[in-house]
Amino acid sequence: MTKELTYLNYLKQDRLPHQWCPGCGNGIVLKLACQAMEKLNFLKTGTVMVSGIGCSGRSAGFFDLDSVHTAHGRALPVAEGIKLANEKLNVMVISGDGDLFGIGGNHLLHASRRNTDITIICISNAIYGMTGGQCSPTTELSSRTLTTPRGNVDTPINVQALITAHNCFYARSTTYHLNHALKCITEALQHKGLSFVEIKSQCITNDGRRRGFKNSYEMLMSYKDTYKINNNSSVLEHDEIGIIK
Amino acid sequence: MTKKLLQGNQAIALAAVKAGLNFFAGYPITPASEILHELVNQKTVKVLQMEDEIASVNAIIGSSLAGAKSMTATSGPGFSLMQESIGHAHMMEVPLVIVNVQRVGPSTGMPTFPAQGDIMQCKYGSHGDYFPIVFYPNSVAELYEFTFHAFNAAEESLSPVILLSDSYVSHLYETIEEADYPVSNRTLAPLGTSNRHFTGLTHKDSRPVTSDPGVHKKLIKHLETKQKKVSRKYNNYEYIENKYSDILLITYGALSRAVYDLKEDFAIYRPVRIFPMVDKIKNIAKKYKEIVVMEMNAGQYVNEIERLLHREVNFIPILGGKIDLNEIWTKLRRIKKKR
Repeated sequence: MTKELTYLNYLKQDRLPHQWCPGCGNGIVLKLACQAMEKLNFLKTGTVMVSGIGCSGRSAGFFDLDSVHTAHGRALPVAEGIKLANEKLNVMVISGDGDLFGIGGNHLLHASRRNTDITIICISNAIYGMTGGQCSPTTELSSRTLTTPRGNVDTPINVQALITAHNCFYARSTTYHLNHALKCITEALQHKGLSFVEIKSQCITNDGRRRGFKNSYEMLMSYKDTYKINNNSSVLEHDEIGIIK
Repeated sequence: MTKKLLQGNQAIALAAVKAGLNFFAGYPITPASEILHELVNQKTVKVLQMEDEIASVNAIIGSSLAGAKSMTATSGPGFSLMQESIGHAHMMEVPLVIVNVQRVGPSTGMPTFPAQGDIMQCKYGSHGDYFPIVFYPNSVAELYEFTFHAFNAAEESLSPVILLSDSYVSHLYETIEEADYPVSNRTLAPLGTSNRHFTGLTHKDSRPVTSDPGVHKKLIKHLETKQKKVSRKYNNYEYIENKYSDILLITYGALSRAVYDLKEDFAIYRPVRIFPMVDKIKNIAKKYKEIVVMEMNAGQYVNEIERLLHREVNFIPILGGKIDLNEIWTKLRRIKKKR
């Protein structure tokens, strides 16, 4: 007997399969978001999904909820406007690292300062995937991309420091650590005030293959080897995942 | 009806409250800040001071979709920052009111001096094809009245409506009658009630369709017809006929207040709904041998007038924020002599 996949109720199933590349991490995060909403018995009416631009920006359109696909980088002010106009709504943002930290970086700085009660899930793949694989604000030092052929020389943004500086909820997980990531999203949705979940995700098509990975499985395994779960610290090290409230 | 002495910006804020404003997001800028100052003291309006104008316009896109009648106010530099999201709001069909109190540009220019340099920006500022409704009143009473019309037109057309002003009209103090104009109610269901997808991508039935030219053509046609249909309700213009003159002056906003003094010698036409252009001007213009467009920029609306009338038009630019009737007279005499 097959188990009914009830989390699919949160998706527009006639729009599936999604259009992302084979091996992409976005679908994993989409499923995690649905599972978290299901766990918390979120009603489909009363929940709003917002996303920015980029591969991950397409996420919002797959949910069977009212959703807004904003201009590039503007997911946060739109989400804040929605939440402040109707505080009964659950407002979730799913977007990428380029959208949230690059073009929309200023909004993240101020949204966390205002501590608006929204949940942000960042699919952080350290690359501008949709446009072909350019360096992003979270690309690691010396990493090779289309725009950094001799290796990235700029320090990646320290999102943890930015979010926790304003005493907001911050969690980091990866697309390999499924249960941990689900726990992060579920706790973030329950948090009153701004909550931010950074999920390290893989882009094999426009990032991994240029860095010597054979397939996205290898990238997932690198998350397994790199990241250790830390449950009792107030600061996550570079190679740790966990929740900071 | 009560009579009140109000500043132009104050009149916009008070009228907005009466027209049902629930949500305002803005960023301080001369000469529009007084609207923000007035609204923070209003109990029925949620006011957000955002980090910039991009955040402001996006916050009201969100709040409007969530069911609140929403407005922002700015000046030229902030209006430039908003352009991308204005196009986005047209594409998603979000009712908004955006007030632009113009000052001298380009760039930081002369922040406290009036100008009319954002005419083209209203119509063509964002990329792609869209068909904005733009009002440009010239007195405190008109600012009050057209704030209502802007809100109504926004609700009826489901689009961002621009209310233009300039630092001269917005900083005038005039006695006005606080009339109650009819108010159009919200027709768009708020977020959280269905499974719609609002997107800036070309779309059909709430779904992105990004490789079908037919769908895009239909969408643009829909936006155009909708805007034209709604704007027909607001055919606002002022025409001062002059049977003894064969010269028609076309002017609007702050400048038109000074040009009124020339009505003994010339006919005057003043559009209030400046976009989509009021067709009436075609008939009016036929009666006059010369058309003179005057505006406080180096030539913006004049091109639109020429295009609409299919004839040559004289142009008098007023630059630097100073309106000098002597200067205008000298130039008008030259046009008279030419004939």
